[in-house]
Amino acid sequence: MIGNDIVDLKLASVQSNWRRKGWLQKIFNESEQDKIWDAEDSNHMVWKLWSMKEAAYKAHQRLFSLSPKYNPYDFICADEDVTVQDYNYRTVSKQTEKYIYTIAFTDQTNFISKVFVDESLQYKSKLVYYIADMMDVNLSAVTLQKDINGIPIVKIHNKITDIAISLSSHGSFSAFTVDL
Amino acid sequence: MTKEELLSKLKTIIEPYVQNQEGLENMSEDTNFIDDLEINSANLVDVILDVEDEFDIEIDNDGMDKMLTVKASIEVIQNKLAAK
Repeated sequence: MIGNDIVDLKLASVQSNWRRKGWLQKIFNESEQDKIWDAEDSNHMVWKLWSMKEAAYKAHQRLFSLSPKYNPYDFICADEDVTVQDYNYRTVSKQTEKYIYTIAFTDQTNFISKVFVDESLQYKSKLVYYIADMMDVNLSAVTLQKDINGIPIVKIHNKITDIAISLSSHGSFSAFTVDL
Repeated sequence: MTKEELLSKLKTIIEPYVQNQEGLENMSEDTNFIDDLEINSANLVDVILDVEDEFDIEIDNDGMDKMLTVKASIEVIQNKLAAK
């Protein structure tokens, strides 16, 4: 199972003032807050932990077909792991000066992922192209939809597949992850 | 406070974070903050903090879980106001 999340750091600094009173406490527990303040770059750490929580949320939601919920507080980051209730997700993050990108995954996962930095936001069509190629079908046979819980699904020839995908875009950046 | 007053206050609170103005014009109880109004998910924290300030209530994690739609938010606010 997989989930991903990308944060455009420039846009995040315009959209969110995480130093606002009460802001961190709504999302991060005390040990996460300590990690933020102890970090060399606190701003970077806020968005890294945020993207870990968001990516794990998407993987968890897909794994259990959960209806949408706003509970970043329940996803607890420790090192590169995120735990929710009794479930654990591993994460890998890519950090540059411009964006932070995190993929969350369970153990039995063989995913590929691609980040688009060219503002073209072509990530959905590129994903369709990739799936068509891997499954050896026509491009027109592949469609992306959302299910009743808002989880993205892949259809081939109008039939729902079990291909797990995750999509994320923020500002100039976008990304897909697919588990084939 | 009537539901209409509450709705109008909520609309004023969320307006600065809305990225889809058309969605705001057509706002109803079924409106979803992220899907319909394109509010950035990190900004939902700001919505919640603004709601706390405006109504002088505290929204706990259980309340926060639900605050993805207009309808659910109104219910959370009404419950907290009633408990004051």
